Amino acid sequence: MRTDRTDARRRRELGPRPLAPPPEGSSADPVVSVRSLTKRYGGFNAVDDLSFALPAGTITGFLGPNGAGKTTTLRLILGLAEPTSGEALVFGRRYPDLDQPARRVGAVLESNDFHPGRSGRDHLRALALAAELPPTRVGQVLDLVELDPAATRRVQTYSLGMRQRLGLAAALLGDPQLLVLDEPANGLDPAGVHWLRTFLRRFAATGGTVLVSSHVLAEVAQTVDQVVIIDRGHLMASARLDDLAGRGRSLEDTYLQLTTGGA
Amino acid sequence: MTAQLLSELLKQRSTRTNIGLLAAMLGLVLFVELVHGVGLAAEHLDARSDQLVTFGRGEFLGVLFAALLGALSITSEIRHGTIRPTFLVTPRRGGVVAAKAAVSMLLGAGAGLAASALAAAIGAAALGLRGIDLRLGGGDYLLLIAGGAAAAALWAAIGVGIGAVVRSQMPTVVGISAWLLFVEGVLAGDALDLGVSRFAPGAAAAAVSGQEPGTLLAPALGAVLLALYAAAAAAAGCLATTRRDVV
Repeated sequence: MRTDRTDARRRRELGPRPLAPPPEGSSADPVVSVRSLTKRYGGFNAVDDLSFALPAGTITGFLGPNGAGKTTTLRLILGLAEPTSGEALVFGRRYPDLDQPARRVGAVLESNDFHPGRSGRDHLRALALAAELPPTRVGQVLDLVELDPAATRRVQTYSLGMRQRLGLAAALLGDPQLLVLDEPANGLDPAGVHWLRTFLRRFAATGGTVLVSSHVLAEVAQTVDQVVIIDRGHLMASARLDDLAGRGRSLEDTYLQLTTGGA
Repeated sequence: MTAQLLSELLKQRSTRTNIGLLAAMLGLVLFVELVHGVGLAAEHLDARSDQLVTFGRGEFLGVLFAALLGALSITSEIRHGTIRPTFLVTPRRGGVVAAKAAVSMLLGAGAGLAASALAAAIGAAALGLRGIDLRLGGGDYLLLIAGGAAAAALWAAIGVGIGAVVRSQMPTVVGISAWLLFVEGVLAGDALDLGVSRFAPGAAAAAVSGQEPGTLLAPALGAVLLALYAAAAAAAGCLATTRRDVV
């Protein structure tokens, strides 16, 4: 848990406008709370009665086959889609009801959500303006993801790895306490994957919470504290990684057994 | 709301799209005024109404490009996916559409002003060089230019609304262009006597800049009608964006 003093320091770094003391749930509440979440498209449930919770300071791997409903779940958590029933709360509230959401939650859903003709710096500046963040944050997050030298170039000249890092920079603009990342390791080279893993571990060590979807089980096994596995919109497992290991099961064994009908 | 306005303004400034649109628009203004001002027979340029129509091409091009600018402000975000980070930062999505409408109206007014003023200047110069008497007074020019700016501003908001409802970029751009370039012309065809064409939004825009007095609505009435269209389109865009899931 982060101390109050650290909180105060982090707020100061964000600029003159202090964050309100936590009206949005106390620190004991889960950071993300998904309850009986259901999203119906046409005739089928993309997400079906899904429930799980993320405690603060943990990294959770969100796993499942293609089409299992992972991205839909993330969109529901982030207020980009409306649940058919159930609810998804972040810091005890619906995402759209958060006061200044960029200061609480950072998210990357696609690796290429940029205008190709806009510079990386202008992309971040536009978001910082909308989120009422101090302009100095733009330079800070560019430094953090080591993208500073390319910041004035148009995004169409960026490699996939650079785009991943620019997306992460945008998510980090508000110095959030929760990161939601959809397949962040796609397109990263081994050094980039290592950098991301180190970054996420450090983020969690300072009290941050991470929800990260991935297909790369070996990478997940090295990074996360717990996994949530879904298949066809249903929750198949929610467990701590060391509990799985304690039962002598590898993550891959567990995953394959749960998502291929016990084959 | 100020934050959203500043953000939208920066988005509009930070790509080359609008500079390209502006250049294309001014090029077309130059083209039409030179071709008509120099090429038309004097008997087609002599009357006050002829000159209003000829100089009013600036209003038309201003309206067209302002509408496209407004539409692109939202469809381009949807096309490139920047709409996701935009709505993550500002989850009250109606406010984003409203800010886009406001900023597009500002830029649209500038485009309309530039197009109308250039059209009047080039047109008047061409007629002057040919020794054709100018029949328009200061009030006519003021209406052409100020009305052209107002009409383009309102059409920019219409563009944002249509873009927010349609979402897909190509159908939006084709639809707006087809409406202004073709559909309204068909409705206003000489052989038709429907009596409704002057209430169409493109005709209302022409009325605002004082064109075809007697046929079109009076300028003030045209402005009120066009403002109603703009408000309805922007409201529909806000509502659609708020109620539908983000793609």
